Amino acid sequence: MDSPVSPVEAPRITVSGVGKTYGTLEVFRDIDLTFGERECVAVVGPSGCGKTTFLRCLDGLIPVTTGSISVAGKEITEPWPGAAMVFQHFGLFPWKTVFSNVAYGLKLAGVSKAEIRQKVPHFINLVGLTGFENAYPYQLSGGMQQRCGLARALAIEPDVLLMDEPFGAIDAQTREILQFELLRIWSLRPTTMVFVTHSIDEAVLMGDRVVVMKGRPSTVTEIIDVGLPRPRTRETLALPRFAEMREHVWSTLMDEAKKAEFVLEK
Amino acid sequence: MSTQDIRVTAPARSGAPAPPAVPHWRRMTRSAWFAKAVGGIAILLAWELLVRWLAPNYVAKPSNILPVFIPTLTSEAMLEQAWATLWAVIQGLAISIVAGVVLGLAMGRVKFFDRLLRIYVTGLYAMPMTAILPLLTIWLGYSSGARLATVIFASIFPIAMSVCDGARSVPHEYLEVARSYRARWHHIWLGITLASSLPYLFAGMKLAVGRALIGAVVAEFFISIDGLGFYILFNTRTFHHNAAFVAVILLAGFAVAVDWVMDWGTLKFLPWYRAAERRQ
Repeated sequence: MDSPVSPVEAPRITVSGVGKTYGTLEVFRDIDLTFGERECVAVVGPSGCGKTTFLRCLDGLIPVTTGSISVAGKEITEPWPGAAMVFQHFGLFPWKTVFSNVAYGLKLAGVSKAEIRQKVPHFINLVGLTGFENAYPYQLSGGMQQRCGLARALAIEPDVLLMDEPFGAIDAQTREILQFELLRIWSLRPTTMVFVTHSIDEAVLMGDRVVVMKGRPSTVTEIIDVGLPRPRTRETLALPRFAEMREHVWSTLMDEAKKAEFVLEK
Repeated sequence: MSTQDIRVTAPARSGAPAPPAVPHWRRMTRSAWFAKAVGGIAILLAWELLVRWLAPNYVAKPSNILPVFIPTLTSEAMLEQAWATLWAVIQGLAISIVAGVVLGLAMGRVKFFDRLLRIYVTGLYAMPMTAILPLLTIWLGYSSGARLATVIFASIFPIAMSVCDGARSVPHEYLEVARSYRARWHHIWLGITLASSLPYLFAGMKLAVGRALIGAVVAEFFISIDGLGFYILFNTRTFHHNAAFVAVILLAGFAVAVDWVMDWGTLKFLPWYRAAERRQ
């Protein structure tokens, strides 16, 4: 079921005809998507399909080779203030405390020290890290570090949250906890969220739509409307439609996933 | 006192997080100090006995040095010379750190400078500093300037090379995060490249301080202005071996003290560096 125009309000980001080539390697091509102002779009695909590269193109970290990505009519060519990314590797600076790390984006934007001291505790509290403001990342577990990374992204109050397999490096149980934590936090201030993941369960749980990328070079094969009610809770996992959607995405991906398994990475 | 397990896994259960690891000298148990003392006494005994049995009478031994140790150490002559050497080392190191860091950062992150300078830095680092002394005395005279130049020459290259290493090893994840949050170039250079290179700087400084001390003393041997090197030479040649030895021991003491200070500094200012390794 293809619906290129999102059902949730006006599009925040418009991606038209976007492709990326590194030298002779074409990573992806002909990507046409829109992301609504208050929707979560999950992106799944086999390893190497360029979904991480695509996310970085959305952030402006990597320029696209063909086509354009635009926000509010302006084309994205470099990192822009309305977007915040949460990284799989957490990306916390080890020499900074939790407080300092969360304040990083604000500090770079030139926010005054007084305002930072006022705002940051709110976000630290939002992700459940109250009491750990003066801890260093090396003292935190993986889940806590990612909470810190999330707080850092939220602190700049972005219009778009770009999640690059944020729970990929976290153990399975903490991962489940954090998925519902993220859903709760996001529902307090719904923005655009682009959620790149390998996990089909995660994509169906988090997303309003699931974009399936596959092929070599990859492109958008299908955009699936998840159609599960919000707020998503543990009960959502037990709904029959959840299993249906999960199987739908899996079968769309299946051939690619099996082929990708035996590819030698460069 | 054993190092505690400071890894926490559940949010918001306790108040402040655990403090960073304890410095090694506090962690050493009484038995470690006892072992060091016993080792020291054994060395002194061996020295004493060997010299008594095998060496001529005027060779320095602990039984002659110990009585004069404190008086010599606190004598005006010794303190003056010690300060002269120390001051030259401090000045030289200050200059070397600033210049070495700039050099290292430039070499580490700007390909042009790396290609330009690397071979010279590596070569001059390996060159024995004594080789350049005669030339320095011609250019700068038999002065404390020549000693300062020797100290700088001895200490700048290990710092530059260590910082260069550190600057090249900045994990690209940090740079990606910085770019994503729209950092300007000074945020990246100072906030990330320099911060991430600090452990390497500390390692380079450990090397550099040792070499700076050597450079100062060797220069003083050669130039005979003042300082501990001059003191040692003068006293040895006038057969005041015991006084000379006290100066030698003082220099050794400097070196150990500096090592401890650098370790303390690493723990205090860089608690996060290799924290996982230090946790046993």
